[in-house]
Amino acid sequence: MSDANQADAMLVERIRAGDTEAWGELINRYEGRLLAFSESRLRKRDVSEDIVQESFIGFLNSLPNYDGKRPLESYLFTICAYKLTDHLRREGRRPTVSLSSTASASGGDWQIPGRSRPASSIARSGERQRIEENSLMEALTEQIEHWCRRDDWTKIKCMELLFVRGRGNKEVATSLQITEQQVANYKFDFLARLRNRLRTQGLPQEIFPELYE
Amino acid sequence: MAREFTEAELESYLDEALTAAEMSDIEAALRESEEIAVRLRSIHGRRDAGVHSLGEIWRRHRVSCPDREQLGSYLLQVLDANQQEFVRFHLEEIGCRYCNANLEDLQARQQEIESATQNRRRRYFQSTAGYFEKEQ
Repeated sequence: MSDANQADAMLVERIRAGDTEAWGELINRYEGRLLAFSESRLRKRDVSEDIVQESFIGFLNSLPNYDGKRPLESYLFTICAYKLTDHLRREGRRPTVSLSSTASASGGDWQIPGRSRPASSIARSGERQRIEENSLMEALTEQIEHWCRRDDWTKIKCMELLFVRGRGNKEVATSLQITEQQVANYKFDFLARLRNRLRTQGLPQEIFPELYE
Repeated sequence: MAREFTEAELESYLDEALTAAEMSDIEAALRESEEIAVRLRSIHGRRDAGVHSLGEIWRRHRVSCPDREQLGSYLLQVLDANQQEFVRFHLEEIGCRYCNANLEDLQARQQEIESATQNRRRRYFQSTAGYFEKEQ
């Protein structure tokens, strides 16, 4: 756990113990970035301040269920994003999309492309899914840290464009001024490393289809 | 003609993680085209089925986001050139909404400090300027 995360974990412990000063400290630490996050979308200061206020209330309400291992900042951003989404739906700015695959007959039934096993048959407990997610997250973090240590920023940029933004190889090559072959090679090596890492943990292929395409 | 949205962009839209302009673009497209709604429902379906997306996990855990200290160093331009360029890329080309919010907060705090410094100096000056008048 990083120093910042440790400091946050201690702050949360003090809040759980009813320390109001710690609560003030958390507000001081996080309100600015949450406000900037909301305001970038709403462009209205007063409404954004209300969203941040609701986010802090949401945090206090969810405190008994908050897993201290999860970075506090990401957790607060997630709450804030929910509050923002709710607000935008109420305002009619954000169109409603059915939230469940079972709630709609069209487009909601998802299957792993090219595989005979129906997705419903691999549905697992939330706890199991968290373990799988954490395994991939750790493998990703390890790879990124390895590239950072080697000053290999082009590879990180390449993977961000491919996987965070979902861009195609050609577009990534143009953007980074490298060849398409280099992009393909970087991607191949990256996915192979992730697959190896996950294989040693005995995780099934079906739950990470992109790694085996 | 509306631009094509990637699967990763639509996933980010559902998580309120794209830049404000991109969020608005998808909202506009969603009003005009059933195809976008179908694709979004399909993403929900995949999530419900417990099938992971690499990009989704990457974004949720922010595996390549610079930390707050690095963003502060970026503002002060004291990172080494390659890292400085990577942070710029992450903020401007990837458009990471969380890091941009952090950066904006850091800038606001820096301005507050500068403003507080100016106020303090003005106070020192005002409380001491009278000595000059007495001397003359």
